[in-house]
Amino acid sequence: MVDDAHNSTAPTGIAMAKATPAISARHVNFAFGEGDLQKQILFDINMEVGTGEIVLLTGPSGSGKTTLLTLIGALRKVRDGELDVLSHHLHDASLEELVEVRRDIGFIFQQHNLLPFLTARQNVQLMFHLHPEVSPDDASRLTVELLTSVGLGHRLDYYPARLSGGQKQRVAIARALAANPKLILADEPTAALDSQSGRDVVNLLQELARGRGCPILMVTHDPRILDVADRIINMEDGRVHPGEK
Amino acid sequence: MFSAFFVAWCQLTYNKVKLAVAAAGVVVAVMLMLVQLGIRQGAMDNSVAVARRVTADLVIVSPRTKTIFASAQFPRRLLYRVGSDPNVLAISEMYMGQGRLRNPWNKLEFPVSLYGVDPNAGMMKLPGIERFTEELNDIDRLLYDGMSRTNYGPIKQYLAENGSIDVEVNLRKVRLIDSIDVGISINTDGNLFTSHVNFLRLFPDRKPGSVDLGMIRLRPGADVQAVRASLRQYVGTEAKVLTREELVAAEIVFIRENAPIDFIFGMGAAVGFFIGFVVVYQILYTEVTNHLPQYATMKAMGFSDRYLLQVVLSQSVILALLGYLPGFVLALGLYRVATKAIQMQFSMTVERAVFVFVLTIVMCGLSAMIAIRKVRTADPADVF
Repeated sequence: MVDDAHNSTAPTGIAMAKATPAISARHVNFAFGEGDLQKQILFDINMEVGTGEIVLLTGPSGSGKTTLLTLIGALRKVRDGELDVLSHHLHDASLEELVEVRRDIGFIFQQHNLLPFLTARQNVQLMFHLHPEVSPDDASRLTVELLTSVGLGHRLDYYPARLSGGQKQRVAIARALAANPKLILADEPTAALDSQSGRDVVNLLQELARGRGCPILMVTHDPRILDVADRIINMEDGRVHPGEK
Repeated sequence: MFSAFFVAWCQLTYNKVKLAVAAAGVVVAVMLMLVQLGIRQGAMDNSVAVARRVTADLVIVSPRTKTIFASAQFPRRLLYRVGSDPNVLAISEMYMGQGRLRNPWNKLEFPVSLYGVDPNAGMMKLPGIERFTEELNDIDRLLYDGMSRTNYGPIKQYLAENGSIDVEVNLRKVRLIDSIDVGISINTDGNLFTSHVNFLRLFPDRKPGSVDLGMIRLRPGADVQAVRASLRQYVGTEAKVLTREELVAAEIVFIRENAPIDFIFGMGAAVGFFIGFVVVYQILYTEVTNHLPQYATMKAMGFSDRYLLQVVLSQSVILALLGYLPGFVLALGLYRVATKAIQMQFSMTVERAVFVFVLTIVMCGLSAMIAIRKVRTADPADVF
């Protein structure tokens, strides 16, 4: 099983850059709790995601997909094993460095988690606060471009409460892409959407990511969207099963 | 560009009703603090108004007395004795007593403070009293304090219209010849001023040789402390020599110890502070709690704890500002109402305005500090 996981790092699908992969996990273990109450969630995870790859992470609930995603997203500390994300060694990074890494990652959650008191435009624009190198003029322009590209050019100044579920998720995607991320992590972005909006959201994501050469790691249960993937990694009981497409 | 302050502003103003409630809480707190502290200050100021009017360089009081309002007398000969010091330019004595003035309209008697002074001595600031030097020496002529309470009837207006009024003081018919504005206190409802002789006529039991307050004018350039030390030897243990400032300070101490002004109004102000604190804390805490998933999302995107703390702190500052201005205006209105109702002067001072503003910021800041602890619990790993 472990050997299989190693093999899965061989380039498949679209051509991968020879440079360092966006994500590279080697022998990552993870457990919640301490002592007798310790419960191991991830066992010896080995995987890679190359530049420009779209990789889906599937598996039954409780298989550790989301935990792995939070580790890659620098939201939890890696305690055992080595995890390199965007050339940062997360396994020995300080909290400041973790926060630094997060700024280069675009997150898309199951819930859109937009700030309800900011308009669609403001929600996206907020992200540029983390990137002071972008001038305010450019930030405003990019915000409008992004929202237009997700089909919300006519809803710029709407509060989230007045947008539909699919529209909110699209604002969330625009927000995730705002800061020009080097990696996109998505956790069941279609779970709260009907099949048509779900499909639209995934197509959009795929299109935008391809255009920018930005890798995507997406956790999903949704069989309707498996076709967008370059590669599928299947997880079960905290271990990686290689999948191919 | 997208500062924490702007985010805080959007968050607060998104729900206008909630914002109004929060601001109203701060308004009440600011108003309570300003009014309570204002009345405390006003009561204190009015109570020492008479002592503050003394302009003499040194005063002599009985060692048995704690306040000039309930003074024990000391022998007048001591004053003549200190007059032999080469640095003493002039001396003047004052008699004080509590009498009863009968309201000429409803025929009821009310307590009144009486002062027997030398109108020409210039050792007390009683505005315009010099003009009546001659008249006050005529038999049973008195001056009325125009700022006395209305218990005594509309005497001030009557004087303004008719020149003089005959009233009954200590069962003796006297004539009030005019009014001057001096001011009353929590100790006294009204004041009457007259010459030494007329004072003694109204208090037949009092002896001219027992005076309440001795006032001393020194030669220009004399060292007040040095003269005081030498005068102490003249008066021995029969009287105390105080500077003007010590007299005022002693009055303040007396009022602090004998009237619960500080406690009552200080507590009122503290209650105001507490109300504001609780309201602002509640608002900020629910705001943070309701938006915890969003805050966690922001953390996951790379916003630091510090940024989110700035958002919450900014909210508290906005609430403080939004609450302070209306609270300040309301307090000004209440000062007017109180001035009329209590018939003492209450006014806003810059010091108090600034002090309460600082208290308001502290109040909101403290609430934010406590609410902020909740922000730290927003775990970005929980968003997934």
